[in-house]
Amino acid sequence: MNTRTRKSLTAAAVASALVLPLAACSSGDSGGSSRPENEIHVMVYGDATNKVEQQMVDTFNKTSDVKVVLDTIPGADYQQKLQTIIDTNAAPDVFFNWGGGSIEPFVDADLLLPLDDFIAEDPQLQDAFLPAVFNSAVIDGTPYGIPMRGTQPVMLFHNKQVLADAGIEAPQTWDELLAAVETLKAQGVTPIALGGADQWPTLMWYQYAFDRVAGPELFEKALAGEPDVWDSAESHEALDKLSALIDAGAFGTNFDSVKFTDGGSPALLRTGKAAFELMGSWNYSTHYDVDPAWTDANLGYTAFPAVDGGKGDAANITGNTNNFYSVLADTRYPDAVRDFLTLMYSDEFVEAQLAIGNLPTTTNTEQFLDQAASPEYAAFQFDLVKDAPHFQMSWDQAFPPAAGTPLKIAVQQFFSGQIDADGFIAAMKSLPASR
Amino acid sequence: MTTRAPQGRTRPGAADLQVGRPGVVWALPAALFFGLFALLPMVLVLVLSFTQWSGLGSPEFVGTENWSRLLDDPVMLKSIGLSLVLTALGVVTQTPVAMLLGVWAAGHQWNRAVLSAIFFVPLLLSAAAVSVLWRAVLDPNFGVPAQMEWLFGDGNLFGNQSTAIAVLVFVSLWQFTPLHALIYQGAAKAVPPMLYEAAEIDGAGRVRSFFAITLPQLRNTMITSVILMVVGGLTTFDTVLILTNGGPGTDTTITAFYMYQKAFRGFDFGLASAIAVVLVVAATAISLVMVRLSGYDKMRSELEGV
Repeated sequence: MNTRTRKSLTAAAVASALVLPLAACSSGDSGGSSRPENEIHVMVYGDATNKVEQQMVDTFNKTSDVKVVLDTIPGADYQQKLQTIIDTNAAPDVFFNWGGGSIEPFVDADLLLPLDDFIAEDPQLQDAFLPAVFNSAVIDGTPYGIPMRGTQPVMLFHNKQVLADAGIEAPQTWDELLAAVETLKAQGVTPIALGGADQWPTLMWYQYAFDRVAGPELFEKALAGEPDVWDSAESHEALDKLSALIDAGAFGTNFDSVKFTDGGSPALLRTGKAAFELMGSWNYSTHYDVDPAWTDANLGYTAFPAVDGGKGDAANITGNTNNFYSVLADTRYPDAVRDFLTLMYSDEFVEAQLAIGNLPTTTNTEQFLDQAASPEYAAFQFDLVKDAPHFQMSWDQAFPPAAGTPLKIAVQQFFSGQIDADGFIAAMKSLPASR
Repeated sequence: MTTRAPQGRTRPGAADLQVGRPGVVWALPAALFFGLFALLPMVLVLVLSFTQWSGLGSPEFVGTENWSRLLDDPVMLKSIGLSLVLTALGVVTQTPVAMLLGVWAAGHQWNRAVLSAIFFVPLLLSAAAVSVLWRAVLDPNFGVPAQMEWLFGDGNLFGNQSTAIAVLVFVSLWQFTPLHALIYQGAAKAVPPMLYEAAEIDGAGRVRSFFAITLPQLRNTMITSVILMVVGGLTTFDTVLILTNGGPGTDTTITAFYMYQKAFRGFDFGLASAIAVVLVVAATAISLVMVRLSGYDKMRSELEGV
């Protein structure tokens, strides 16, 4: 009782001292016995996709004696809430996450159920999903998550009208991108819109530059505890490429005051003040919500340009691979949980996700693509993800949470010239180690 | 001086009981509340600052590791300096504006009453709403800076340390001046008119009256207002979170925001607790020094002899 009481007290201390609500007040035994009878609690990030999640729960509950209860947590508080309750009796049986670094601390604390047994009983739980996506919730060779929403690859978007006026095509290679930057600058257009104040849009440029120059291996090694790779020749080359792009004025000068999240950088692209923006696939609906006619006629999209002589495959992509359901090790009804998870590759799931504009990552998605809100766009993305030899999840999500802030600060400082390549490399080498 | 305590009583305690003064029991609810929700958490945060804890499992004692990490942390040292700079700039900018507005609004003309009602509108808005509003107004491509290039240049206000700090100071000025103007208005109204009449007879003009009468009469009000500003400045958080997010880089990462980053983005509650302790100690020390220097603890009326 002592450790548990002390933990509750410290938890209460942190919560009240730092003035944030805390929902964990636990007593008694932990473990399956204290979980509610005939109920499975599924905790998800609260947003528009919840209606699909609720539909799956309703479908499951029609035929099952053990009922699934969906607990939606308002988005901005999700990660804090999860961290607070996952090691208490209030923990859910199944929870939404981002794979990779977002669940690694829970795996280290032995809180999660390895999904090997589920997959042995139903191989479709692995085989029905695109491997590049499924693998981002595999930790040290053991799968811990089942993809449960849509994929969001990062693509290079452009304003078709601006490119036509400048007489250029969307670039296929890095050199073509640099040439386009010069042409556009001469026309008085900011070549690339960047919401630098949000920091994560800037990070996308590093993810692609490092992938194209050095291949995915460099980042995988860095993540696995070999920080010296940041000092390699390839790392320097990737940073040189980014420097050249920044110094050429590709992003203008005031990108650190612009945000994507408040509509600033999308407006630059839409009004023709900028020609390109590197952004996740949600960018399409961001523009569509404001101006459907413009989006249909003028929003172009391509894969990220190839780098000549680089080690990375030009078909590699980065972004949010998908979101995942992970299972608590002490769930009371593992068999019911397994059956619930099998719904995540059902036809009903795929159709419901496509109907609200998400792109699921199951192998059967392909046959339903013509039902998507914009079939052409959905097909382009699906092929991009299906054909990608490697799908790099966002760096800040691949690392554990403690590394997120220092990583994004270094990313911003190098772009704005506050630190040079050596400063960036030093910052990356000192990130809190993965393990 | 009707409020002055009766003199020459030998046993004030006994006298208090006779007139039914509240005893210790009356203070119990407030004391319990304060102990449970302020003192106890503070003690536990101190304990937590000697542990490593991510919120999973039990906190693990690591001795003074967090403290030595903090001493070597350039961001921490910088954040303390930034907190002090922001607080000082807040006091220096808000005090004169609030005082002049408050004294002006203390006049009895009806147009002043109407205009002061309008000036006080920012008081009704939450800090978060104010920050979001100014973020939009200051957008470099579609906001005010895009229309006034002669003043703002490329409009990269959030991309340089000096301009980012200037924005934070300006937004605080815009938001908190009304509150302090209100305090000054009340105090200025309480200045007896006969003082001004006497000064007028002696041939003093408006400016002279302000410096010779109004300013000395507002001394205690100024101390109250400055203490409020200092406490508010040291605990500034929401404007930083929404306007600059501590950036560019760590250039506006003040101590309170740094604590938030460590605790709720990095889940490093041990280190965050150490920062919290530093913040509590620093804020307590500063307010003690201010109370001592200003004589706030033995404050006397300015109306003696009137």
